[in-house]
Parts: sequence; structure tokens; C-alpha cells
Amino acid sequence: MRRMIAAILLLLCAAGCTLRPAGYTADFFAMDTFMSITAYGRDEQAAQQTAVRCEQRVNALEPALSRTREDSDIYRLNQAAGAVCEVSADTYAAIEAAVEYAALTGGAFDPTMAPLTDLWGVNTDAARVPAQTEIDAALARVGYQNIDLLGENQVRLLGGAQIDLGGIGKGFATDAVAKLLDDEDSVLAMLGGNIGAYGQNPSRDSGNWVVGIADPDDSADYIATVEVRDRSVVTSGDSERYFEQDGRRYHHIFDPATGYPADSGLRSVTVIDTVSTRADALTTALFVMGLEQGMAFCAAQNVAAIFVTADKQVYATDKVDEVCVFTFLGEEKGYAYAQ
Amino acid sequence: MRSKLRWGDFVIAGVVLAIAAAVALVLALGQDSGQLYAEVWQDNTLVERVALDSATDRTIDLDGHNIIVLSGKTAAIQSADCNDQVCVRTGTLTRAGQVAVCLPNRVVLRLTGETDGIDAIVS
Amino acid sequence: MKAKKLALCGLLTALAVVLSLIERLFPLDAVVPVPGAKLGLANMVTLFALTRLSVREALAIAACRVAVSSLLMGSVTAFLFSLFGSMLSLFVMWALIRTEGKFCSLLGVSVAGAAAHNIGQVIAAVIWMQTTAVVAYLPLLLVMSVPLGLVTGLTCQIVLSHMKKIDFYV
Repeated sequence: MRRMIAAILLLLCAAGCTLRPAGYTADFFAMDTFMSITAYGRDEQAAQQTAVRCEQRVNALEPALSRTREDSDIYRLNQAAGAVCEVSADTYAAIEAAVEYAALTGGAFDPTMAPLTDLWGVNTDAARVPAQTEIDAALARVGYQNIDLLGENQVRLLGGAQIDLGGIGKGFATDAVAKLLDDEDSVLAMLGGNIGAYGQNPSRDSGNWVVGIADPDDSADYIATVEVRDRSVVTSGDSERYFEQDGRRYHHIFDPATGYPADSGLRSVTVIDTVSTRADALTTALFVMGLEQGMAFCAAQNVAAIFVTADKQVYATDKVDEVCVFTFLGEEKGYAYAQ
Repeated sequence: MRSKLRWGDFVIAGVVLAIAAAVALVLALGQDSGQLYAEVWQDNTLVERVALDSATDRTIDLDGHNIIVLSGKTAAIQSADCNDQVCVRTGTLTRAGQVAVCLPNRVVLRLTGETDGIDAIVS
Repeated sequence: MKAKKLALCGLLTALAVVLSLIERLFPLDAVVPVPGAKLGLANMVTLFALTRLSVREALAIAACRVAVSSLLMGSVTAFLFSLFGSMLSLFVMWALIRTEGKFCSLLGVSVAGAAAHNIGQVIAAVIWMQTTAVVAYLPLLLVMSVPLGLVTGLTCQIVLSHMKKIDFYV
């Protein structure tokens, strides 16, 4: 009898210990954005270890991806005036990915938009609408084909091209975090607009992570949710970074074809993908393409994407239902779900 | 064990119902148990943590860089001296888990407490 | 004698598992808005084992029943919840049965057991899910445990009186 009671107490205790998945959140600023990585583990110490490991990985990537830091590979490459540069393996991999997605999207996403974004200066004191001649001059230097990947971490920029990995940097960092984790880990990484939800969510029976898709008019609120696991969810939209001039709003996602902010009738595009870098590049590209062309692209390339248009229609591609549970909640806010 | 009902049976039923009533009462009184907190972080340090209730009415001025308004069970960054104004455009936070961030000033306003169903917002 | 007892334990465990399966056919949580609401039929077996066998056998039967029925249809969480509930229920009923009917009848024991089961489950859920939100279900579960406990207690009483008639002893 006594042995049995001891056994039961032991069992309850063992259950009690695994019953409390401890969480730890690391908040930090990196890559010009706010990041928050929450890890869960057996105890708080394990959770903290995981979260800090992820944070360190992201911080270590910053110099590999930054364009503005003078000690960064990209800065050196952009200053090299066409000479061959050797860059770090991380930088090379990121450039390679950027070029791949630029080619995939026919240049709708382009990692060489730096001259144009600098010209417009959205989110800086110098934000303004440039003259057409200036835009044309900047556009002449844009083109991912000008990135010459020579292998063995050697890169050369042709035709005055300047690389800016801002469009995929956070996605690349999210993927780097994902690669650190093993099957046991559960981590929710929010790197700016990129969310990576990996492993089992201990606070839900389903083990999934529920991500709200922001209302473009009120980014603190959401108009739909997606339930995912081991996937990244990325949104690009016009609502966070913009400036106004002469009563018109100019946002930060530029159309490489016109040199102006993409005017495609979309407010935001969300992509759900196992590869966050890909999702990051695709949201930008789909936003530039617009609804019709974007939907066609998604159908052809099997992309899970959710579009929110300026006239408050929400569209989801067929693939969305395959990779997550999508719930539309925007009715009260005047949105309509177009099946 | 006799099959006849005894006074203890009624006591047991009474006690069970009393516990039910007591729990219900405590729950009803503690309806506010979904306590919301507003946390203000600056440079990764916690500057302020305020429990929000319907009577909350406070303004936190971070050296004029950011003005944060806590009103009722909501919080918002009302103004910022930076040029991107992203934090101000984020609008009013009403739910646990929501965050407003001023990057240039490295200020984070976040609501914590029991979340109401989502783990993160992507925007 | 020992073999007979063992056989009876096995039989009772099987019966308890079957009763838990049958319970599934009456999804009480469809009628009352509480997840996890159940008739508690398997409680009858525990009650029977407590009166006719000993607390030891009752414990073993209840633990096996929870394990087997969770394997058959439940999740890990369901297993932990019902294990916690069953153990608390068993403990409370055992304590009351020791009063040998001086304090209350089998009906009271059964009601207390049903209530304890629910309380145990909710406690397990609070620990597991790290949220006190589930406590909101407790009042309704407790109120329901009175009639449901009465029904199972009554059934057990009838069974026991018939057993006596056929001179069934272990």
C-alpha cells in the first residue's frame, strides 16, 4: 500500500513537473525593428537559454545583412564600384536567395532598389516626392540581373547597382532561428513583420499558434487569424511606413517598373510559408503585382497568400486552406471575405 | 452500508452545492480577473508597469520624446518626436499581447495579461 | 482466492473501460455548455470495488481504467485530467465509506465522489494550462454532479443488494 501511494505521488509529481511549460520572452531591437522571441521549455532556464540563443543568432546576422553599418559586407560591396568582393557565407546565402526570388517574381521583388528608396527617403527627415528625371536615373541602376554571383562567396555589382537586403533580411533571420531549433523546441519569433511559429504551442490543446492578420487601418487589431505550426507568416502593407505630401500618401513598397510606390489597389499581402525568406520576398512582390496578377502567380507557384484590397475585400488563395486554419473575422470592421 | 438515506447525504449534497455557489460567487466578483497591465519599456528596461482598470487615467511623458496615454483599459502612444510616427499610427491597444513600438526612441508599449485567443499579430 | 480476486479486478477494469466508452455515446457537453461533462458511469465500478474489495484494488482498477480508456480514445491531457479526478474522487469516497454508513449512505458517497472528480479535473486543468479560466466551468459541473452522483449511487446500491441475494462474496 505504501509503495503504491509513493508511486502515485511520484507520478503526480512527474506530471506536475512536465505540466508547467515555462516561457521566456527576449525583447530586443535589431535590423531597424523591434523583435520579440518567446521560447518555451521544461523550466524557465531552458526557455531562456533557447530564447537567448535565438537572439544571439539574429544579432550575429545583423552585420551580414545591414546596408547602413560601415563594417558590413553589404556596405563594402556597395562601395566597391563594381570590383569583386568576398563576403561572409551568411551574406552570400542571403544575396543568392534574394536573386532567386527576384527571378521567380520576374523582378516584382528586387534587392537592388536601394537607389530608389534612398531617393524617396520614406521614414527619414528627407522624405519627398522626387522629380521624374531623378526617378529615371535611380531606376537605371535597379535590376537584380546586375548582381553577379561568382561562387565561393565572391560577388560583383554591375551597372551601379546597390544591394539592399531589407526586403528579405527579417525573413532570413527568421529562417536562421528556425535552423537553430530541434524537434523539442517551441518558439514564437516575431521579427518585425515576420512571424515564425515553430514546434508545439504549449498553451493550446491543438499545439498550433494563432496569428492575427492586422487590420490595415488599425494595426493593433486584426481582421483574420491563421492557425499554423512550423511555418512563417509574413505581411507587407502600406500602413506602417509612409509619408504624406500634397494630400497624397506615399508608402514604402516601390514598384520597380514605375519607380513610384506600388499602386495596385492592395492594402496588405500576407504569405504563409515554411521558408520565411521566401515569404518575405513574396509579400513584397505580390503587393507590387496587385490582386489579379498576384492570385495568378500564387496559383501557378502554389503559394499560400491572403490579400486585403483597398475596397476592403479579403482574398485567400487555395493553398491557404492546405497549410493552416484560416478564420475571417473582419465583418464588423467592414471587410468582406471574397471566396 | 445501509441503503437508507442518512442525514449525511443531505449534508454532502449541500456542501457540494455550497462549493458551487461559492466558486460562482468568487468568479462573479472577480470578473476583472483578466487583469491587463501596460508595460512601458525604454532601451530594454522596464520604466513603468501599470495595472489597468476602468478608472485608469494616466499620462506618461518620456522626456518629451513619447507621450503615452493610459485610459481605462486601453493604452496608446499619443505622440512621438520622431519622423516615422509608426507607434502613433499603431493606434490604441486594447488586448493583452498588443505592442506599440517607437523604433527611433527604442520605446515599447505592451499590454500583458491573459490573452484572448491569439498568439501574435502580423502587420 | 487470490486468483479469484485478480479475475474480479480484471473483470471490473474491463467493465469500467466499457462504461467509459458507453459514456462517449452520451456527449453531455452537447447539452450543457461545459467541456468534459460526463455521466461518470465508471464511478460505479470504483464505488463497487471500494465496498466489496479494498481501497487497494479500487485504486488499481481506477488507474488501469483511466490508462486504458485514455489509450483508446483520449489525449495525454485527457489522461492526466481524468487520472487526477479519479484519484481525488477515490480518496474522498474511501474516506466516507470508512464511516460505515454512520454518516451517510452510498448515495452521499457517490455524490461526493462525483464532485471530487470534477474538482480534481479542474485542478489538473488549471495546473496544466496555466490559466484559471477553466475554473469558470466548476460551478455547473458541481451542480450536475449531485443528480449524476445520485443516479450512479442508486445503481450501485441496486447492484449490491442483488449481489447479496445471490450470495456473492469475494
